[in-house]
Amino acid sequence: MAEGLTLETALPPDGIAAVEALGPVEALVVVTALNQARTAPAAVGAAAAGLARVFAGRKAAVLFVDGGSQDGTVEAVRDHAVTGAPVPVASARISGRPGRGRAVVAGLAAARHVGARGAGLVEAGLSSFTDDWVEPLLGPVLAGEADYVSPIYTRALTEGTLTTNLLAPLARSLFGKRLQEVLGGCGAVSPTLLDSLAPAEDWGDEPTGQGAETRLLGQALAGDYAILEVHLGRKQVDPGAAPADLAQTLVDSVGPLLRLMERDPATWQDVRGSRDVPRRDRGVAGGAAAGDVRPDRMVRAFHLGLKDLLPLWEQALSDETLTQLYPLGLLGADDFRFPPALWARVVADFAVAHHERRLPRDHLLRSLTPLYLGRVAAFVLETQAALSRGAAEVLERVCLAFEAEKPALSARWR
Amino acid sequence: MQQQWSDIVLDAIRDVGHRILFVTPRILAALTLIFLGWVIAALVRRITVRVLTAANLDVRCARWGLTGVLGRPGHRPALTELLGRLVYWAIFLVSLLMAVEALEMPGTQGAVGVLLAFLPHVIIAVLVVVGGWMLAQFLAQAVLIAAVNAQVAGATLLATAVRWLVLIVAAAVALTELGVAREMVLLVFGIAFGGAVLALSLAFGLGARELARQALESYVKRTREDSGEPVSHV
Repeated sequence: MAEGLTLETALPPDGIAAVEALGPVEALVVVTALNQARTAPAAVGAAAAGLARVFAGRKAAVLFVDGGSQDGTVEAVRDHAVTGAPVPVASARISGRPGRGRAVVAGLAAARHVGARGAGLVEAGLSSFTDDWVEPLLGPVLAGEADYVSPIYTRALTEGTLTTNLLAPLARSLFGKRLQEVLGGCGAVSPTLLDSLAPAEDWGDEPTGQGAETRLLGQALAGDYAILEVHLGRKQVDPGAAPADLAQTLVDSVGPLLRLMERDPATWQDVRGSRDVPRRDRGVAGGAAAGDVRPDRMVRAFHLGLKDLLPLWEQALSDETLTQLYPLGLLGADDFRFPPALWARVVADFAVAHHERRLPRDHLLRSLTPLYLGRVAAFVLETQAALSRGAAEVLERVCLAFEAEKPALSARWR
Repeated sequence: MQQQWSDIVLDAIRDVGHRILFVTPRILAALTLIFLGWVIAALVRRITVRVLTAANLDVRCARWGLTGVLGRPGHRPALTELLGRLVYWAIFLVSLLMAVEALEMPGTQGAVGVLLAFLPHVIIAVLVVVGGWMLAQFLAQAVLIAAVNAQVAGATLLATAVRWLVLIVAAAVALTELGVAREMVLLVFGIAFGGAVLALSLAFGLGARELARQALESYVKRTREDSGEPVSHV
C-alpha cells in the first residue's frame, strides 16, 4: 500500500487484528464514539441493518472505533450490537490519550486497509441516524458518482445557528463550494479520497472528532473531488454525559476550520465566489417548527461582552470593525441588529488574530461567544421579520457577506 | 621656620603625589573593567538574541500562547529582546561590581564574591516574578472570559482579584527566595490571606446571606432557562 494513512500507526495491535479479521470489505461503515454508551449500540445496530438491507450481495461490515470512553461504551456496543448482527461487526479502541478525532482517523485508516470501495463515517452521538441513511450516504460512493457525500438536514431556523451563520458561510467563502453542513456528524468517502489523506501522525493537532471531520472535509473541498449532498431528514444529537458549553463548542467547532486555513493557505486564498454542489433529495418531509427563542438574553450577553471583554476584542478586531461595533451596545433587544457584513468582518478579524496568535487561541475563541450570541439574536429578529421564503434570503445574505469579505481576508493573511 | 614651611609643603605635595600614584592605576583598572564589561555584555547580548532567534523562541512562545500575556500587539516586547536585555544588564552589573572592588575602597573587599554568591537567588527570584506575572495575566484573562460567558456581573473585578492574588503570591515567593525578612513575609502573607478569606466568608455567610441566596437562585433559574433554550448551535 502506498504511503499515506496506514493502520499500523492508527490503532494498537489488538485493534489491527480486529480489522484484519474482517478481511476485504467492499462497503464499510465506521462508527466512532467517545463516552456515548447511550447511543453507540443503536448507531452500530442501525449501520449493520442498513448494510444488510441495501448491500446484501456485497461484502459489507461495520467497524466500531472507540476514542477512549470511560462510561462503558465499548461494553455496551459489544453486548447489544456486535452479537447477532446481520453483517460482521468489529470493535477497536484507540490507545493513549482519549479523543474521538483519533478514532475517526483510525476508522479512515481501517477503511483504506480493508480496501473498501465506499466508507461511511458516523458519529455515535448522532441519535437520528437510522438504517435508511446508509444507502443515500454510501450508494453514490459505491456507484462511483461521488468522492465525498455530505448530509443535508431539515432544520428549523433556530437550529444549527453556528453552522448557518459561521461555519458554512466561512467554508463556502474559503473553498467556493456551497455546503449546508460542515460538521454533519456523518458522511461517506471514496478510496480516491482515502488515498490522499496524510499519515495518522500528522493528525495529532486535531484530537476532537470535529477537528478530524473538518480536516477530512477540507481535504475534499480543497481538491478536485466530486462532492454530493444528500438530504437525510432531521438531525438530532445526543450531547453525551457531559454536554459542552457554548464557549467550548466554539473552540471545538471553529478552531479546526481556522487551523485548516493555516495548513495550506494556497488552497483557499485565491478562491472567489462559490458554486452549487450537486444535491440529491430523497423527498424527506421538510419543515421544522422554530422554537420560541428569546433574543433578549443573547443581547444581554452581547452587551456584557462589549463592556467587559473590550480590552481583549481590541487585540483581535480592527479599528474599523470596533467603530461599527460600539453603537450596537446602545441597541435594545427589540431593535437589535448585527449586520451580516459586520459579522463577516468580525469573523475575518478573529481568523487573522488566531493565525497571528495575538492571544492564546483558546481564550480568543472563547471570547467570540458574546459576539456570536449577538449575531444569533440579530439573526432571530431578522428571520422573525421575514416570511418563510425570506428566511432563506437571510441565510444567503450571510453567505454573500462572507464571500464579499474574502478578498480583504486573503490580503491580510501572511 | 622657612625650612619647616618648605618641608611641610613638600611633604604635602609628596603625599598627594603618592596618593595619586596609588589611586590612578585603580581608577584606570576600574574604567577598564567597566569598558570590558560593556563590550562583553553587548557581545553576549547579541549572541543570545541570535541564538534565541535561530531557535524560534518568539514563534514557539506565541504558539504556546505566552506572548499574548506580555501585552497588547504593538506594545509588546519580544521575549528574545527581553532576555537579551536581561543578560546584558546582568553581565554589566557584575563588571560594575568588579570595578568597585578594584578601587579598593573601604568596605568593598569581597563584595563581588558576596554578590556573585547571591546571584543565583536573584535569578530565581526574577524568574519567579516574571513567571508569576505571566501566569497572573493568563489566569486573569481566563477567569474574565469564563465569567463573562457565564454572564456573571463583576467579571472584571473577579479577574483583577485573581491577577493580584497570583502576583502577591509570586512576590512573596520571590522575597522568600531572596531571604528578605523571610519569616515576616510568610507571616504577613498568611495573616493577610487568611484574614481576607475569613472576612469574605463572614461577609458572605452572615452579612450577605440573603443576597447570596438570591444570587444563587437567580443563577440556577437562568441555567434552567438556558438549558431549555431552543437554539442548537451545531
